Amino acid sequence: MAVKIDTNFNEETNQTEMRLDGEIDIYGSELFKEKIHELAKKHPDKDMYIDMTNLEYIDSTGLGVLIGALKILKGNGKNISLHHLKPNVYKIFKITNLTQIFNVAGME
Amino acid sequence: MNCTQIKDKIAMDLPTSPEYVSVARLTVSAISNIIGFNVEEIEDIKIALSEACANAIRHSQRECFHLNFEIGEGRLAIEVTDEGVGCNLKEVAEPVLDDPKESGLGLFIIKSLMDEVEIQSNIGCGTRIHMTKLLEDNK
Repeated sequence: MAVKIDTNFNEETNQTEMRLDGEIDIYGSELFKEKIHELAKKHPDKDMYIDMTNLEYIDSTGLGVLIGALKILKGNGKNISLHHLKPNVYKIFKITNLTQIFNVAGME
Repeated sequence: MNCTQIKDKIAMDLPTSPEYVSVARLTVSAISNIIGFNVEEIEDIKIALSEACANAIRHSQRECFHLNFEIGEGRLAIEVTDEGVGCNLKEVAEPVLDDPKESGLGLFIIKSLMDEVEIQSNIGCGTRIHMTKLLEDNK
């Protein structure tokens, strides 16, 4: 299963938003990188909200893309918040200590 | 793994194309289910294998790499071998978790999720990752 990615800017919350659907591995990470960098560069002065409700799987290639995007936003004092992580997805963030770096706001 | 403990062996070659990593995950998921691993353990095995496959795909110079599954009583051993560029493992830095980089987490994740991990790599010859997951009762 590939990954489906939707992005938009939410004027009410003043945040960029991204919804991930599917699996992000070495195959899906290229599209993920393209989309998240596009969003971060278009709105570098906004926090980013990522909805992971339908993200079934992520591995280190996807984590690397997230870290790269976070570095872009951190340069402007902004952050990325991750929402509704499935337990298996949360575990990867936990063992790599990325729960300390990203704002992990909610699990499924 | 001792040969007397191995019940069955499965071998497959996969093309070094990213789209086939999901095939490896589906395969190992089915094998792990047969052995009796629970859902969380199967997720661990899937991620570890996926990381090893991604490593082989990134560094291999051939059109395919090799997967070997050894199914034992309450244990699964997986070997991922590529004939790639290889590396000097002594020069592979452990990730600094307080200052994460965009790459370098793969081997750390494998070691975190599997019970036994052995990595051999030779420059110009390729890399072999051998990893084992044990059922809770076998630990």
